[in-house]
Amino acid sequence: MIDLINFYIVPGLVLGSIYALGAIGITLVFSILRFAHLAHGDLATLGAFIAFAIVSGIGASPWAALPFAMIATAIVAVGIDKVFYDYLKERPKILTVMASLGMALMVRSVIQVVWGVDSESYARGIVRPENYFGIRLKDREILTVLAMVVLVVVLQLFLQKTKWGKAMRAMSDNPDLARLSGVDNRLVTIMTWSIVGGLCAAAGFFLGINSEVRSMMGWNMLLPMFAAAILGGVGRIEGAVLGGLIVGLAEELSVLILPSEYKAAMAFAILLFMLVVRPTGLLRGKVL
Amino acid sequence: MEIWGLLNYAIFMATFIGIYALLSLGLNIQWGLGGLFNAGIAGFFGVGAYTSAILTTQPVDGRLGGFDLPIVIGWISAMIVAMLIAWPIEKICSRLRSDYLAIATIGIAEVIRLVIKSEDWLTNSARGITQVPRPFGDLPYFESQLAYLVIVVALVIVAYVLIERQLKSPWGRMMRAIRDNEPAARAMGKHIESRRQEAFIFGAAFMGLGGALFAHLNRSITPEAIDPMVATFLIWIMLILGGSGNNRGAILGAVVVWIIWSFTEILTDQLPHEYAIKAKYIRIFLIGLMLQLVLRFRPEGLLPEPQSGTPMPSEATGQKTKEREA
Amino acid sequence: MKNFKSVLVGGLLAATALAGSAAADNIKVGIIGGISGPIAAMAPAMVDSAQLAISQVNEQGGIGDGQKIDVVLGDSACNPQNATDSVTKAVNVSGIVALVGPHCSGATIAAANSVTIPAGILLISPSATSPEVTSLDDKDTVFRTVPSDDYQGRALARTVLGNGTKKVAVTYLNNDYGKGLAESFKAEFAGNGGEITDFAAHEEGKASYRSNLAELAKGGADTLMIFDYGDGSGLTILRQALENGFFENFIGGDGMKSDAPIKELGGENLSTFLASSPVGEKSQSLEIFNEAFKAAGGDPDAIFVTTSYDATFLTALALEKAGGDKTKMSASLRDVSNGEGEAILPGEWEKAKKLISEGTAIDYKGAAGDQNFDEKGDVPGTYALFKVSGDAFELVSEMK
Repeated sequence: MIDLINFYIVPGLVLGSIYALGAIGITLVFSILRFAHLAHGDLATLGAFIAFAIVSGIGASPWAALPFAMIATAIVAVGIDKVFYDYLKERPKILTVMASLGMALMVRSVIQVVWGVDSESYARGIVRPENYFGIRLKDREILTVLAMVVLVVVLQLFLQKTKWGKAMRAMSDNPDLARLSGVDNRLVTIMTWSIVGGLCAAAGFFLGINSEVRSMMGWNMLLPMFAAAILGGVGRIEGAVLGGLIVGLAEELSVLILPSEYKAAMAFAILLFMLVVRPTGLLRGKVL
Repeated sequence: MEIWGLLNYAIFMATFIGIYALLSLGLNIQWGLGGLFNAGIAGFFGVGAYTSAILTTQPVDGRLGGFDLPIVIGWISAMIVAMLIAWPIEKICSRLRSDYLAIATIGIAEVIRLVIKSEDWLTNSARGITQVPRPFGDLPYFESQLAYLVIVVALVIVAYVLIERQLKSPWGRMMRAIRDNEPAARAMGKHIESRRQEAFIFGAAFMGLGGALFAHLNRSITPEAIDPMVATFLIWIMLILGGSGNNRGAILGAVVVWIIWSFTEILTDQLPHEYAIKAKYIRIFLIGLMLQLVLRFRPEGLLPEPQSGTPMPSEATGQKTKEREA
Repeated sequence: MKNFKSVLVGGLLAATALAGSAAADNIKVGIIGGISGPIAAMAPAMVDSAQLAISQVNEQGGIGDGQKIDVVLGDSACNPQNATDSVTKAVNVSGIVALVGPHCSGATIAAANSVTIPAGILLISPSATSPEVTSLDDKDTVFRTVPSDDYQGRALARTVLGNGTKKVAVTYLNNDYGKGLAESFKAEFAGNGGEITDFAAHEEGKASYRSNLAELAKGGADTLMIFDYGDGSGLTILRQALENGFFENFIGGDGMKSDAPIKELGGENLSTFLASSPVGEKSQSLEIFNEAFKAAGGDPDAIFVTTSYDATFLTALALEKAGGDKTKMSASLRDVSNGEGEAILPGEWEKAKKLISEGTAIDYKGAAGDQNFDEKGDVPGTYALFKVSGDAFELVSEMK
């Protein structure tokens, strides 16, 4: 039992928290901007590498580098939108999806040119987990889950309590009506991308600190993140969190019943299942 | 020697372009005509390639296959199996909007790739299937390449003619009607789901054929060939650049994009060694950038879809946008 | 529209031709590898060691009357589509006379089948380990300086049993490299009385392999065989196994003998980690190569740099022996490395040139093995086991 917790459930929850961070961003883009953001994974990679650059450049602690990486990625995300997605606003959304695919390729190759294709880490050496009454946890794992919770709570407060949060939700429900009520869609778009960029950086960072930092790391996460967002219900933040945790756990637990090479297919299986059985997701989000 | 070399290269490129043209034509049926965003082309490509390989090679211990059938049977079977795989996929995804369909098909292609990589008894897993026979393969280099090119070009022409005929037929007009104004088409009693299925399956057949031709060209098929970059996304870029909804556009897109893809490598080769390696990563950047530029400046592609009949009052995109969003 | 199209196509082809027709005087050798794609992390070092061989040749007299070798660099991206494209370009547009590469087995098989075999171009791959390469119908033009997975897996099995370890768990990367090694290991290990408690594949690129490791550890073995790449998922698995206390000992194939685990995990944590790698009988060759490569700024511990160097140096020797005649390349290659003749070690180009011009038989003894090709173009390979000592790998024992 303790083994089950230590080697299946704990990694599943940690992985799930990382997926959750990414899935929240995806669900925000889906619901407010109405398209599938295929560059999400590579944006996360970018955030991870920016943090790495700060750590290896000035020798800061990774945790100190995280906020700056989040801000930097937010700026990049807003910039990308301005240059590459904005003019496609009035056209069929599918074109924006394709543009985001092109963006994924571009971001990834920039990362490869600047930082190379080797595996990197934030800190050299290995870190053994602490033993808490038989449950083995590393500090960074606790922090990963904690950070996810904190970010989600902050985001929810923002969306529910502040004027801008309400504006975002309005635009998610009905952009035309929102515009009529005086919501500045352009500003909401910028805010959405800032939040998405920050979340991407966090997802990439936590993935990097729990394993390695590699140029393909984000792209490999893309499918699970989408599965999580759709599983939870598009447009529902809690759904994205729930979805992320379920996908993470399912991946780790799948080794108990499936041959281990099919672990990667788990996220997809969940995705397909949800799309067929209940496209609105567990928490009844939107079906776009 | 120079001329022969260039000629060989041109023939090889043309053969590759031909295979990609088939894939692009298949995608055009699914997307250009049916409005179905298939981001899992690699899956059908792989299924077609492996089917043909399994059927046309010698028996091997521990693996299904070795039927040693004639190559033509292999190719036809590749198309049939691709269609068979397409049918349940479309059935499952039939209610999905384009974004969801894209994600689902990416996932399906990944699963197909995993299965191919892992199942020894079926596909020799990661090792792939080799000693796949090649038509006219025993001729000297130049002649053998030329022979294969002739076969591929013939198939592309046949495919083109076939698809164009379908497009101009009542079926084609109905497909376009469904794509442009689904509520109206449904109100007229058209059976949307069946038509979409037909488009998806019809397109998948050509993707399977493309895969089979590829396997026989290289006398082998290995799982790395089912890479999303070269077997899915490149084809999407070809179709968008060439002009979705237009068969000649699909072929033109294959020509232009493959030449650019191949050409960028020659460019990067000219750089000094230390930069040459980094420059290879930049090729991907250039392809992504090209996609952006096309979307920005000419989203309908080089050869836009031919408008048959009287043009609607509000031109192409505006009216369609409203319809699709509703 | 049609006009525009033909102009575009014609223009691009012409530009292509122009690019290829520079420097017609020198001899061109292709170095084509998986620069982008799944093995992108490993390729640069392999290209570097190949370049080292070429620069040594050029500095010490070149080919024949002093012709220099020009390198045509290409990217196979480790998939057949790009491989056949870049090899076709190299052969037809750039006019290479021999090819070092591609790196991946699938790419090698495709490129050989569609280009180099029909065109009669010599191909030596430094890292295509699939047994399928052996069975290519290649008119004796395809060789490799890396032994087939079969050999290494079996040698490793014998060594592990010989060290007294009778019970292991095996995890391998789900590609032709990992699978090939794992299967041949299993056949020999189980066939000689060893017990494999768990035998499982894994995909690369996942964030956590802890559940995989937990499953593998259930059988109670204390040694884990890892058939993977040291800068890919092999690193992640090693890290997570060490951190969570799965298994005591770790043994990997040559893919794991990479500087990445040392760099990322720290040599002090890898005291129970061993990796096998092909070496030459005269370990002198390996030392000479290591020195030269280090002096040129490379990392001698990187994966497949030894085989890559050998493949390139051998190509040059064959070129010299063949006197520039493309059709004699295969025979010349066998001549210069068949176990008979005066020994030529890595870097001894001048000496080799002299001996060849005198008509003396030479025998190249490479950094990764003696490279005596059998009738299929394979090399049997001798192996050694390495452990981590400080910041580098150190030879422990030869493997039989």
